[in-house]
Amino acid sequence: MTQTQQPAALPAAGYTDFRRRRSVGSTLRRAGALARRNKLGAVGVILVLLILFVAIFSPLIKRYDDTESFQTANPDFNPTANPFEIAANPGLASPYILDRWESPLGSDHWLGTDQFGRDIYSRIVVGARLAVLIGVGASLIAVISGSIVGLVSGYFGGKIDLVIQRFVDAIQAFPGLVLLMLIVSIMDRPSLTLMIVALGFLGFATSVRIVRSSVLGVSQAAFVEAARSYGATDIRIMLQHVLPNILAPILVVFSISIGAYILAEASLSFLGLGPADKTTWGKMVNAGRVALDLHPWESVISGAAITLAVLGFNLAGDAIRDELDPRLRGR
Amino acid sequence: MTNYIIRRLLLNLLVLWFVASLVFIGTHALPSDFAQKRVASTFTGQDQTEAIASARRELGLDKPLARQYVEFMGELARGDLGTSLETQESTWAELGRRVPTTLELGSIIVFVTFALSIPIGVISAAKQNTWIDLSLRAVSILGVAMPVFFVAILLSLLVVRFSLFEIDVVGHPHLWTDPEAAVKLYVIPAIAGGISGGAGIMRILRSQMLEVMRQDYIRTARAKGLHDSRIWVRHALKNAMLPVLTVMGLTISGIVGGQIILETMFNIDGVGRFLFSRLNARDFPPFQGTVLVTAFIIVTVNLAVDLTYAWIDPRIRYT
Repeated sequence: MTQTQQPAALPAAGYTDFRRRRSVGSTLRRAGALARRNKLGAVGVILVLLILFVAIFSPLIKRYDDTESFQTANPDFNPTANPFEIAANPGLASPYILDRWESPLGSDHWLGTDQFGRDIYSRIVVGARLAVLIGVGASLIAVISGSIVGLVSGYFGGKIDLVIQRFVDAIQAFPGLVLLMLIVSIMDRPSLTLMIVALGFLGFATSVRIVRSSVLGVSQAAFVEAARSYGATDIRIMLQHVLPNILAPILVVFSISIGAYILAEASLSFLGLGPADKTTWGKMVNAGRVALDLHPWESVISGAAITLAVLGFNLAGDAIRDELDPRLRGR
Repeated sequence: MTNYIIRRLLLNLLVLWFVASLVFIGTHALPSDFAQKRVASTFTGQDQTEAIASARRELGLDKPLARQYVEFMGELARGDLGTSLETQESTWAELGRRVPTTLELGSIIVFVTFALSIPIGVISAAKQNTWIDLSLRAVSILGVAMPVFFVAILLSLLVVRFSLFEIDVVGHPHLWTDPEAAVKLYVIPAIAGGISGGAGIMRILRSQMLEVMRQDYIRTARAKGLHDSRIWVRHALKNAMLPVLTVMGLTISGIVGGQIILETMFNIDGVGRFLFSRLNARDFPPFQGTVLVTAFIIVTVNLAVDLTYAWIDPRIRYT
């Protein structure tokens, strides 16, 4: 019985095969090592995972509907009271009283209730989904549109580049919030989609800048020269040779700006320009201001939620940048 | 150098023209205009279409868009920022009344921004990895993540809870008319704006300081026996400030955004609140004018920053 022995294919020295399957254990070990090296990054990743969990499972973990007003039977209710008695004591008129401004932990409502007797915990949970949707959605739009335009601008250079860069200058010459206010006002009752597109448009300028400068660095490389010499078309060079080499900065821009979009959306919602009919954290901070001295909880809790979400995405984004492209530090 | 400045000024004109066009397109894409808002608030009859149409005619909003655009550009070229549809006052007059207030608050915010971020950034770098550094970094990371209005709310709560002082919401005190009332009015927005603006600078400055302190010229300075404080300030800080200057345009833009929120929150009659209220009233000429003035300031700051580079870092030469 003869068996032909196939020589095992040996990987060349220094060659890492990224397609190799890693065992779960080794992946966890690597993650653990990373976390030890970058503790803040680990905190960020944990916060992001927590927020993603809340956002994904919000219908399951919210305890009540975010718009439901809680009320209790009014012990003083007197259906036979005449108008004079009601004028003297308005408490007689309605069969129910709203459970307004309940304090956290004091009742069935974990984080208390707001001025309309709505459960703050449930509203925070519902707001988390919106924040994630807006942050990730806007960042996706910004990065995809910014990469296409940045690629064209950096690769072709010349007049196209000049015009695109002045357009980008113009967007950045607007104070961001003003541009957002203007775009969002296009609809009398801004929709969630419009909100995401507006934020994405604002981030488009930054993405173009960073992608363009990365393209400038890559397009002088020898392999681009080589591709051009064997007659590859511009589109082919851009997609096959330049794009794969700038994926790292693109991913960094994507992850690092999510927090900023959540922050910007909160500012708009706070000013009353947020997505109509949706429960957002920014709106909650603003709503809580009506009784800030006596019942600060709604503002404080929703403000803390914004801060934690932005903090998580920022720290995780920083960690991704440090791993992938430390040169972008300080941008 | 002169050529460079001229070229940049021309490019800035191009940028401002883009901004003007963007804001023109933006405002005219809005579904409601001032005529509708005015008719809706004053006219109670059944059919408003006729009233809206006549209001548009009266305000000149019925002209073809292209003509409005050309007129708008013509006015801009003459330095005319338009007239408010509501008060019939020129935008320059409206701005003139509010610019002092905004500059007052704005310069306090800028002062707090740098008074917080420069020392904290330097100390953080000098005490790298000690508990001082760690807590200062925690503060800066939190400062970046906190919305400016939340900082302001927390500060207000602090003031209210400990009855530190009472904020007089009536009247518009200035530092030069009623210093005490003005300080009380401005202290919360100024600190909030300063924390939000300074947190990012703090982080950039810290990492730059660490970078610079590793350079050869710092070792040379040490070797010639210079005093530590002189090295930190003259040799390190000056070089570490370059990237901070780079983001100056963004910082100003952030402070403008912060001023819109803070002035609206604290009822301060400045340019920020004016801008927001003009958009809400769909009173576009003053809105467009104010946006253009802000954009002009931002592009000018950016140009000034690029020019100061050459002054701070003699290796940079513009041709």
